[in-house]
Amino acid sequence: MELAVVGRGDFTLGFKLAGIRKTYEVTDETMDGTVRDTLDDKDVGILVMHNDDVSVLPAALQSALGESIEPTVVLVGGGETSQLREKIKQAVGVDLWK
Amino acid sequence: MAIRDVKPTRSELIELKKKTKLAESGHKLLKMKRDGLILEFFELLNKAKNVRSELDDAYGVASEKIGFAKSVEGDVAIRSIAFALKDVPQIKLESKNIMGVVVPKIESSQVRKSLCERGYGILGTSSCLDEAVEAYETFVEKIIVAAEIETAIKKLLDDIEQTKRRVNALEFKVIPELSEAERFIELRLEEMERENTFRLKRIKA
Repeated sequence: MELAVVGRGDFTLGFKLAGIRKTYEVTDETMDGTVRDTLDDKDVGILVMHNDDVSVLPAALQSALGESIEPTVVLVGGGETSQLREKIKQAVGVDLWK
Repeated sequence: MAIRDVKPTRSELIELKKKTKLAESGHKLLKMKRDGLILEFFELLNKAKNVRSELDDAYGVASEKIGFAKSVEGDVAIRSIAFALKDVPQIKLESKNIMGVVVPKIESSQVRKSLCERGYGILGTSSCLDEAVEAYETFVEKIIVAAEIETAIKKLLDDIEQTKRRVNALEFKVIPELSEAERFIELRLEEMERENTFRLKRIKA
């Protein structure tokens, strides 16, 4: 399995240098389809995205990304822990991510 | 279970007592499972926090280095160098079991490579580019570690929530209803016994 990166040109360029082949440069219009295709790709084990890019996706797809185990979705950039934080609050009842 | 549906018979009472016992033992086991899962979660939480802060730091460094490299080499040159890279980092997803919760275990091939193994010429490129590549390799390594831990946490949280719901349903719905039905049958049987005694006394008199 491989890592995949979906994002703007600036974001994906560095990953190309680290040897990641499945890097997809997208715009706001093409992001939705590319993310869906990557989630369906059986050869992708980890999907990396920037948190700002995720916020432009439809709510259903955002929650699909949050729930996805295979591929595992890792969000980088500011505020990426908010989903996990909410989940912890919901399950344990206390905000332990402080 | 509504009280009006309960038949006030001894066999029903025995059946209800069996059900209550089973529900109580299930409740005890589920509570133990929930506590165990929460302990496992706390262990992973500290790791996840550390990994996330390391990941953020690595991202900051990598972004800075690629910015430098872009300004020195230019965007097009960096893109063409990226095409020259040979090895693709491969990952292997396995699973492990934490108290009945299947969580992923991610193993990866070597991400970090030496200068000679990278595949681009070292004479025509600057050290800024090498530093950027190295920073991104470190960043990718951190991403792989974060992916494993954060997925495990997500799965544990799902299971904690599910177990909590089951515990609450047993504690506040199933067991009280069964106890209430049991009490109703006991009272009804006592009442029937009193009626019977009274009837026998009247016949005697």
